[in-house]
Amino acid sequence: MDEARVKSVAQRSKSNSLWYALYLPQLRELNSALQKKYLDQLAGHMQSVSSTVSFHPQALICEVRSSLKYFAGIDVIHQKLQKLVGEQLQQWDLADGFFYAASPTVSGSLLLARSGHNALVYRPENLRSALGQLSTDVLDLNKEQRRRLLNMGIRHLRDIWRLPSDGLCKRFGSNFVNQLNKALGKVAEPTLNYIPPPAFAASYDLPYELENLNQLLPIADELLAQLCDFLRRRDLSTSSLVLFLRHEKRDSTEINIGLRMASRSQQHLTLLLETHFDKLSIPAPVVAVKIEVKEFDAFFAKSDSLLKNEPSGSASYSDSNLIQFIEQLQARFGDSHVKSVSNATQHCPEYASLQLNYKEKPNRRGRIAKPIEVSANPRPLWLLQEPKQLNINKGRLFYRKPIAIVSGPERIETHWWSGIDVCRDYYVAREHNGSRLWIYHEKNGKRNWYLHGFFA
Amino acid sequence: MAGQGVQGRSTGYPQLDAILPGRGWPERGLMEVITPHWGMGELQLLIPLMRSIVEQGKWILWISPPYLLYAPALVQAGINTDQVLVVKLDTSCKDALWSMEKALQTENCGLVLAWQNWLPTKVLRRLQLAANTGDTLGVLFKHHDSEHSPSPVRLKIEDSYSENAGFNESEVTVIKARGDFRSRSATINLYQQA
Repeated sequence: MDEARVKSVAQRSKSNSLWYALYLPQLRELNSALQKKYLDQLAGHMQSVSSTVSFHPQALICEVRSSLKYFAGIDVIHQKLQKLVGEQLQQWDLADGFFYAASPTVSGSLLLARSGHNALVYRPENLRSALGQLSTDVLDLNKEQRRRLLNMGIRHLRDIWRLPSDGLCKRFGSNFVNQLNKALGKVAEPTLNYIPPPAFAASYDLPYELENLNQLLPIADELLAQLCDFLRRRDLSTSSLVLFLRHEKRDSTEINIGLRMASRSQQHLTLLLETHFDKLSIPAPVVAVKIEVKEFDAFFAKSDSLLKNEPSGSASYSDSNLIQFIEQLQARFGDSHVKSVSNATQHCPEYASLQLNYKEKPNRRGRIAKPIEVSANPRPLWLLQEPKQLNINKGRLFYRKPIAIVSGPERIETHWWSGIDVCRDYYVAREHNGSRLWIYHEKNGKRNWYLHGFFA
Repeated sequence: MAGQGVQGRSTGYPQLDAILPGRGWPERGLMEVITPHWGMGELQLLIPLMRSIVEQGKWILWISPPYLLYAPALVQAGINTDQVLVVKLDTSCKDALWSMEKALQTENCGLVLAWQNWLPTKVLRRLQLAANTGDTLGVLFKHHDSEHSPSPVRLKIEDSYSENAGFNESEVTVIKARGDFRSRSATINLYQQA
C-alpha cells in the first residue's frame, strides 16, 4: 500500500510540474564567486515568473506549470525571461544568448538545456524519447566513466535505455543510475529553492509639511513599529538602519542609526531616534519619511541568569540597558566624548593612565584579568592635564595658599631612550586650605616646582 | 519618621556611619558633597562605595570631571577600571544634565558622579526622580551649599587644617540627611590608604 501511495505522489508530481531550465555556458569562464553573484541576480529576475527557483551549475531552473495559465502559455514566459536575462547579460558584458528547455523533471530540463536543444517536453511519457536523442556528453561523468561508455559503443542516452539498470549500477555506480532515473522522473528530486534576501523599506508621505521634528516622531514611531513587526515575523533583528527625511527641492536628510547590539525592540529604536532628533537641525520642512534597513542580523533572545546575584561583576555589566545608554551617549555627543579609563604600564606619570574612546570589548568576558602593576607609592585620583608651576614665596612653596610637604620624595626617572626625558622628585603635600596635592621638583632643566594632581 | 528603618549601605568609615541615618549611604537618590575647593578628599569619601558598586557588577559614570581621572589611583583603590566610563563634555551644562538623568535611569550604572555648582530645585527634583526610577545613586560635587536643595543627603567636607592636624584627617559635616533633623559632624580619617 505504501508503494502505491509513493507511486501516486510521484505521478502527481510528474504530471503537475513543468521545469523551465536556463543554461548559461558563458558563465563557465568566470570565477565561482562571480558566478554565484550573477546567478543570484538572475534568480531575482526569474522570480517574476515563478516562485520556485533553484540553482544548478551555470543554470537556473524554475517551475512554470503553475504560472502557465496566468501568462497564457510557455512562449510568453520564455519571451519575458529572454528579455530580462538578455538585458542583464548585456549589462555584464557577456554574450546575451542562453540555452533553455522545459520538461516535467528538473534533471531532464537541465540535460536538455545543456545539450543546446531548446526543447519543450510537456508530457512525462515523452521524456524518454526526447532524452534518448541526447549525446552522453551532457551527463555529469568522470573520465573513467566516459571511457567505459565509449568502449561499450554508447554515444546517446537511448543506448543506455536499452541496458539493464542493475548492470549499469555495477559498472557505473548508483549515482549514474540515479541521475538518469531523476531525469526520467522515476525518483523524486528535491530542490533547494532560492529565497530572496530580506529587504525592508517603508515610507510615509506627509499630508502637509512639517518643520517640528517632535511632530514627526509619532510617524517615525509608526514606521518603526512596522519594521519591528517585519523583523519579528522573520525572526530577524537589525543593527543598522537609515531614516530619510525628504524635503521639497533639496537632498534628503539621512539619519544613520547604528546599534552595538542588534535589536528589534521598537522602544529602543524610538529612543535612539529621539536622541538623534534632539541634535538634528533640518534645512527645510519635511514632506516624507522613509525607513530602510541596511543590515539584518539573526535574532538571539537573551536569557536571564539563573542565579540572581552573580558573585563576580563580569557577568552582568554588559547587560543591554547599559549598552543602550552608551549608544545614546554616543549618538548624542559623538564617540570621542565617551571614554574608558585604563592603566598603562608606563613609568612616566602622565602616560600611566589612558583615556580611550569607549568600545565594547567582546573578549573581555572570558579573559582572566592579569594583575595590573601599579606603583606602591600614593597616586592621586585627579591629574592635571598640564602640570602647573608653583611659586616660592619667602622660602615657602605656594599655590593658592602656602604648601606644606607631608611625605616624599619619590624619585621618578625615565630612561633617555624612551623619548620622554623625565627626572622628578614627587611629594605628597597639603595646602593651607585643606587640599591634598601631588607636587614635584624637577631634577633637571630649570629645577622648578610643579603641581601635578589632587588627592581628591 | 520618614527615614527611620531605612537600611543604608555602609560608607566604609565607622565614624561617618554613626552620624548618618540608616547607618550609611542611601541605596538610591541624590547626594551633594560640598567642598570649598577640589582635592579635599571628596572622592576618598566615596572610594569604599565605589568599590562595592563595582563588585556588584555595576558601572560608575563620571560626567565631565574637572580633571583627568587617573587610572593608577583607581587600581590602587581596588576599583576595576573596566567598569568606569567618563563622559567628556566641553561646555554645555544641559548636556551634562541630560547624561546624568539618563545614567541615573540606567540600572547598571550604580553610581553617577557630576560636578555642577548651581542647579535649580526643579532640576534636582528631576534627577532625584531619575535616581529612584533607576535604583541608582547620584552624587553632585559642588563648592557652595544651597539651603533649599531637595537632595536627601548633603555633606560638607571642611578644612580642619592647623599646623599640628594630621594629614589624613578631615572634618565631615552631615548638613542634612533625610530621617534626621540635626546636623552632625565627625572627624574622619579619609586617607586610610594614603
